[in-house]
Amino acid sequence: MQTSCGGRRQAAPGAGEVAVLGGTREALARPWHVTELGAWVPRVCDRRWTKQPRAAPEERGLGERRQHRPRKATLKSGAGDRRHLGGRSQKPEVPWRTGLPPKPASRNFPEVPLPAGTPGCWATGAGGAGGLSAAPSKPSVAPTSCPGDFPSRPLPFLPPLLASRNPCPWHYVHLFGSHDTFVATCFEAKLHRKRSGLTLGVACTLTDRASPAMDTYTYTSRPRALPCRRRRYRDDQMQRAEEPMCYGNIMYDRRVIRGNTYALQTVPLPGQPDPAEIQRQQEAKRRALAKKRAQEQLRPRTPEPVEGRKHVDVQTELYLEEIADRIIEVDMECQTDAFLDKPPTPLFIPAKTGKDVATQILEGELFDFDLEVKPMLEVLVGKTIEQSLLEVMEEEELANLRAHQRAREELRHVELAEVQRLEERERRHREEKERRKQQQWQVVHKHNETAQKIAAQAFAQRYLADLLPSVFSSLRDGGYFYDPVERDIEVGFLPWLMNEVDKTMECSMVGRTVVDMLIREVVGKRLSLYERKEDRHSSLKPEDGLSGPGGMRDPPVGYEFQDHGASQAQRPLPDTDSLQRTPYDARYMERVSSQDRKLMEEEDEQTNEEVLQE
Amino acid sequence: MPLPDTMFCAQQIHIPPELPDILKQFTKAAIRTQPADVLQWSAGYFSALSRGDPLPVKDRIEMPMATQKTDTGLTQGLLKVLHKQCSHKEYVELADLEQKWKNLCLPVEKFRALLQLDPCENKIEEIKFLALGCSMLGGSLNTAMKHLCEILTADPEGGPARIPFETFSYVYRYLSGLDWDIPASDTESYLSSLKDSTRGEGRPSGRGDAGEEPPL
Repeated sequence: MQTSCGGRRQAAPGAGEVAVLGGTREALARPWHVTELGAWVPRVCDRRWTKQPRAAPEERGLGERRQHRPRKATLKSGAGDRRHLGGRSQKPEVPWRTGLPPKPASRNFPEVPLPAGTPGCWATGAGGAGGLSAAPSKPSVAPTSCPGDFPSRPLPFLPPLLASRNPCPWHYVHLFGSHDTFVATCFEAKLHRKRSGLTLGVACTLTDRASPAMDTYTYTSRPRALPCRRRRYRDDQMQRAEEPMCYGNIMYDRRVIRGNTYALQTVPLPGQPDPAEIQRQQEAKRRALAKKRAQEQLRPRTPEPVEGRKHVDVQTELYLEEIADRIIEVDMECQTDAFLDKPPTPLFIPAKTGKDVATQILEGELFDFDLEVKPMLEVLVGKTIEQSLLEVMEEEELANLRAHQRAREELRHVELAEVQRLEERERRHREEKERRKQQQWQVVHKHNETAQKIAAQAFAQRYLADLLPSVFSSLRDGGYFYDPVERDIEVGFLPWLMNEVDKTMECSMVGRTVVDMLIREVVGKRLSLYERKEDRHSSLKPEDGLSGPGGMRDPPVGYEFQDHGASQAQRPLPDTDSLQRTPYDARYMERVSSQDRKLMEEEDEQTNEEVLQE
Repeated sequence: MPLPDTMFCAQQIHIPPELPDILKQFTKAAIRTQPADVLQWSAGYFSALSRGDPLPVKDRIEMPMATQKTDTGLTQGLLKVLHKQCSHKEYVELADLEQKWKNLCLPVEKFRALLQLDPCENKIEEIKFLALGCSMLGGSLNTAMKHLCEILTADPEGGPARIPFETFSYVYRYLSGLDWDIPASDTESYLSSLKDSTRGEGRPSGRGDAGEEPPL
């Protein structure tokens, strides 16, 4: 089959087969597109189909890459096709299948025979072609079988080496320019498969028809049961061919990759798959299958029905089963014996070995005290002596040390005492010296003081020696020593005398003044007289001169008399004094009057001149 | 416990637990005392031990000097031992004293000679005996007094050996009284001077005062 498929595949390079690597994540997350190998799996919303096919991510196998690269050219062509298809069907999942065997669309298509060239799922290493071995009944499923579907299909070419791998109905079909999509190639999507040229359109129409019916919800990938090639029922060996599809739990499907996909082993694709290996694997499978079948055969079965009877399946279980939350509980009891104490372990008496031998011991044979005690004594005495010797020596040494120590202490005490004594003596000497020095100092000091005092005294004496006379003289000069009589005379008498003299002088002055006045008056009168007389006696001019002076003389005498009288008038006042002074006065008066006369004469001359001038 | 009748092995020999200690003490005493006759001395030792008396043991080991061995055998240490043994009572019995003397392995003649210095009957004052012994030790009164101080002192060894002045004066008087050469007046004067010098303490010391100037 493989070969045939391979041949077929090779014959129809146009089989569009795109391997899509689907990351498991994506596969699980997004509804996977199940498609037959070589089928186109357009994605509804994916406009990227129109683009050039993307380079496969590195996580994909080399195979994929290989698939991609060479396919580029073809894919382009396919893209156009796809475009058409994609445009037409907006349904998310329009599995395009190429080369699917003409079969009614059934959901289960357990063995969608992978085209020979099916690469299979590289992840599971399922050889496309190898996987198809399980489904031998579909040899016709070949991508090449429906050339009409895709006139220009992208080459599916899947390296034949992949075909040797384990069949993997789930192919990672790479959608052009789309995300990795998990494509189950063994899915039939038969809806559209069998149509030949119009398959596409029918599919599209079908889907189109289907879609409006359930327009409320759209699927990216319609939920459908997966075909499973595993036998579902026990005695199902014959029905494998009939059963189109098997369901399987995806969780337990070994084709589903668990874990990371980026660390998967790379597909060792280069080169042809080892045919021997393939053969071996296939044989192993066949053997296992045969074994299983044999065991099945051996299994006891119910005997064949008797003639005329037929086995019928009867439900023996309860038809109705009560479902309750209550769990049926049954009490069970079990009685065990009371625990016994562990009995004491019996004494382990080893088996007796050896021989019993007896002997006779007499007194004193075994033990001789002296002999036995000797070592003891040795130790005792020896140790004792040794120890005591040591101890005595130690004590002796210690005592010696202490004695020495005390002797030294004694000496030290004595020395200390001596030192103290010496110190004391020293101190006393020093103090004595200090004292003596102090004394000496004091003596000297005193001596100095005394000398100073003496000198000072001598000097002071000399300095003050002539102080006294000078003092006295100065005092005397200052008039501090005065003769009281003299002073009295000076103070009392002489001022009085002077006063008196003044008074007298004043009197005389006054008198003179009076006399002057008298004279004047007299003169004036005489003058007037003379004037009268002159008037009368104008002839008596020459005598005027004589009388004038004579007349002049008389008034002064008169004046004198008046004056004298004034003075005499004044005299009663200082009468007592004047009594003594009268002789004086007289003389004085005469003197005064003479003087007055002279004065008068002068005045007269003057007045005369004046008169004359007048 | 008495030895069992039949003993089979050395382990059965039982040593009294006090024995080692007694032995050790005895040995140490013997080493220290160095008696001339160990047996005699041991007898005295154990009898004193059993009675509870002070033991005839020297406190310090005294290297026996050659001269001493030949002369009297009496040393200061031995006198001290005797003193220690007899000091608890004032008067000692002569017999007892003799026994002790013998225990110390001292020649008995010396004992007799000693006693002849100051004859007495049965008892003798312990102090006097000691004084006589001291006088036998040394030649002069000074050395005798020195020895006496050192024997009687309570001060630790090596330090000033001080004794109470009364004791000193008593002994001094006694000894000087025995010795006819020393007039009593000198004794008294010396004692009084000594008293003045030690007026503070009242304890003449073997070092200082005996080193000073007693009239001899």
